[in-house]
Amino acid sequence: MALTSRIVEWLDERLNLSDVRHFIQEKGVPIHAQKLWYYLGGVTLFLFMVQVASGILLLLYYRPSSAEAYESVQFIVTQVEFGWLIRNIHSWSANLLILAAFAHMFSVFFLKAYRKPRELTWVSGVFLLFLMLGFGFSGYLLPWNELSFFATKVGTSITGAVPVIGPPLVRFLRGGDDVTGATLSRFYALHVAILPATATILLGLHLLFVQRQGMSVPIKTLRALKPGERLKEMPFFPDYILRDVLVWYIAIATLAALAAFYPWELGRKADAFAAVPAGIRPEWYFLAMFHTLKLLPSHIMGLEGEMLGVLAFGLAAAVLVIVPFLDRRASRGEPSPALTVLGVLALIYMIAFTIIGYMAA
Amino acid sequence: MNRRRFLDGILGAGFTSTLAAIVYPVWRYLIPPVSGEPATQSVVAARAAEVKANSALLFKFGSKPGLLVRTPEGELQAFSAVCTHLQCTVQYKADTSQIWCACHNGLYDLAGNVVSGPPPRPLERLTVNQRGDDIVVSRT
Amino acid sequence: MTWFRGLACVVFPAVVMLACTGVGTASAQTAQTAANGCVACHASLSDARLSAPPAALQGDVHQTHGFSCVDCHGGDASAAEKVAAHSAAKGYRGKPAGKDVITVCARCHSDAELMHKFAPRQRVDQAAEYATSVHGKRLASGDTQVATCISCHGAHGVRLVNDAKSPAFPTNVAATCGGCHASAEHMKGYTLPDGKPLPTSQLADYQRSVHHAALTKNNDLSAPTCNDCHGNHGAAPPGVSSLTTVCGTCHTVFATKFATSVHAQIFERACIECHSNHAVLQPSDEMLGTSSQTVCASCHSDKDDPGYVASAKMRASIDRFKHGIDSSANLIGRVKNAGMEVGDDELALNEARTRLVLARTEMHAFDPGSLDGVVGEGMKILAGVDQAGNRSLAELAYRRRGLFVSLAAILLVVIALVFKIKGLEAKS
Repeated sequence: MALTSRIVEWLDERLNLSDVRHFIQEKGVPIHAQKLWYYLGGVTLFLFMVQVASGILLLLYYRPSSAEAYESVQFIVTQVEFGWLIRNIHSWSANLLILAAFAHMFSVFFLKAYRKPRELTWVSGVFLLFLMLGFGFSGYLLPWNELSFFATKVGTSITGAVPVIGPPLVRFLRGGDDVTGATLSRFYALHVAILPATATILLGLHLLFVQRQGMSVPIKTLRALKPGERLKEMPFFPDYILRDVLVWYIAIATLAALAAFYPWELGRKADAFAAVPAGIRPEWYFLAMFHTLKLLPSHIMGLEGEMLGVLAFGLAAAVLVIVPFLDRRASRGEPSPALTVLGVLALIYMIAFTIIGYMAA
Repeated sequence: MNRRRFLDGILGAGFTSTLAAIVYPVWRYLIPPVSGEPATQSVVAARAAEVKANSALLFKFGSKPGLLVRTPEGELQAFSAVCTHLQCTVQYKADTSQIWCACHNGLYDLAGNVVSGPPPRPLERLTVNQRGDDIVVSRT
Repeated sequence: MTWFRGLACVVFPAVVMLACTGVGTASAQTAQTAANGCVACHASLSDARLSAPPAALQGDVHQTHGFSCVDCHGGDASAAEKVAAHSAAKGYRGKPAGKDVITVCARCHSDAELMHKFAPRQRVDQAAEYATSVHGKRLASGDTQVATCISCHGAHGVRLVNDAKSPAFPTNVAATCGGCHASAEHMKGYTLPDGKPLPTSQLADYQRSVHHAALTKNNDLSAPTCNDCHGNHGAAPPGVSSLTTVCGTCHTVFATKFATSVHAQIFERACIECHSNHAVLQPSDEMLGTSSQTVCASCHSDKDDPGYVASAKMRASIDRFKHGIDSSANLIGRVKNAGMEVGDDELALNEARTRLVLARTEMHAFDPGSLDGVVGEGMKILAGVDQAGNRSLAELAYRRRGLFVSLAAILLVVIALVFKIKGLEAKS
């Protein structure tokens, strides 16, 4: 401890850290019935850091060409010491990260933390969620095995259902007309450069906003306060940090358990000319959408069913982005049960269709 | 030692061991493995001194066997040791300086061409290079 | 007068040159009219039998080397009308038939000095060989229905045997022989040595065989067709005692093993007893054993028969080995999918599969003891593979336990953290 305080003093002399130190010492986290939800953001951030670190390690040995991708992953898990561990952590943490991101988004939604003045935090957060889904989709192809090849083929062909820009969009995503080594190169660039750069900027802004504005308190809690009463707070350092670290440790434990009991398989190397395996489906976070599109009739009122489905999802995503601007009542500090109900329905739909999608296979 | 310091001690030990449990695997991961790189395209078949004139040895190339031959004149040749007939593993016959498959008596010359017997195609040839003491065989 | 001398120096050589070319043209023209004489007349005839031969000459190997109609048919090619052209005095012999065909062809093709000028590597003993063949012997005794040189090589439009359009090219030989031998009408009256009528099913049988498939589908020109077993010019069915040698020309290992077996003394028709002569089908392990579909059961159906016991043992051995290979391959596949290194084990599996191929060869000695020797080697290799596979599975279990241990450590830290937090709460 003495060493750390000496380092801090040395830096303080040169950079004047007084306002930073003041900020950390004064920063508090409100205590109320819903405070547990606060930890989800931190867990998402932690899992993202795990992804970056394990991803960089994998980058040292991975080869993004259709001739060598599968073999390089095989090399990592068989020849490189602890390669199997790094790979398993990266694959499982990806799933946990997306689960945490969705949970974080839903908790913020139901607690209306997006209301004024935190609209920008919400918008940046929603775009971060889309980026995480993009990370998941692009990263899934990289091991170049049968499952990932065909899942990508099916997934990219769905974008073709978008009217007008659909087919060129598919060509843009695939780097050609079919899923080939060109697709792999493109997805690799997306996964290790384009998406990380964008995510870094958005994440930086998102965290900056949270630090400047502090934690949001649910409307009900605020309304229950007597006039002049202030909400009790716990100091960020060390109380909240310790709890945050506790949650991160639980996340690590979950990761270790998953890696131990459900290790990720190598699969068979992708063969473009093989038949599509029966029951091919995307990872769970796309399953609800995928299954919905499967169930839609081929034509609805003369228009292509798939196109309507894709447009509907696009519309839903757009609505999600502008929720703070739609919810006037929350901005005024009033409860908005209508949106809450809408959110519950959306959550039920997503969970139900994910389960149904799994059982259908 | 009071309870608080005991707890702090456990926590400190816990954090340190977590750190060690992360740093140790990462450090071992960063050290390049002995086999160098994925053996899809090239492999170190043997050391130059191991292969004498008019002899051959089998080596592993990916998941298939390969045959490294030093001709009586001292030249190095490498082939896939998978017979093109029914995929038996071929061997070198020093008395006739030919490559022979024991299964159905297929014979290949030192260019990999079929001399007699049932093999329908020549043996797949591989490229041989020498890097210091190592003989490196790679796909042509 | 210098201009005249100069002119003479130019004009005179030019005239000489023209004259020489004129002479050359004249003689070429004579030669052309010589050939053209036959072709010019025959090409314009309405009878197809007479006008077809000159048309067929296009691409004929004899014509390419400067031979023409008169070299085989005799006569006078320069004559412009029929009687003079067909003059017996000029050696005209019409359409050679029967033994004449052999004489006409052999006139050149048995002349080593002559053939040396055109095709030094070509043999010159075809006629002599032919005389020893069934076709030759029957021709000598007056049967004109049998094949002669032109039946297989054609008369006009003859191509080298290595020309893919030649009827004697390996992929065409079966159809050429089948032209007579598959026709019930043509073969009427011919019998086998034992008096039964000569079958005409050989072509159909051959077309079902692996040899035919190798030749026509895999373009393996070393695969046998009619002439490889029966001979080309000395064509005759191989003698019964020599069948092992005939098949053994290519299938050497099987012939050697078979020669050591009990069947070598017993079988009349060696390899053919089990594998047939023309309809040689893809063999399989199903041929071996005691059930009704096996080949062994056609002789060995009695449980006390030592042959029955041996075939049962051998089939059981091979089945056991195959099963072992499958289960080891499965194990290695599982281990590979789980992300373990299996290169050496895959190599060992290759070795085991090699032993299976060798076992099927060894079986032709019809000795369960020697077969078990080969299978035993293979099973030893499989045992090694299984050991390595199980070691990898144990390593996977070890990793799982290791992660379990780390879970326990993490939980300890979690509990300590909970206590710490509670402690801090109590303070404030």
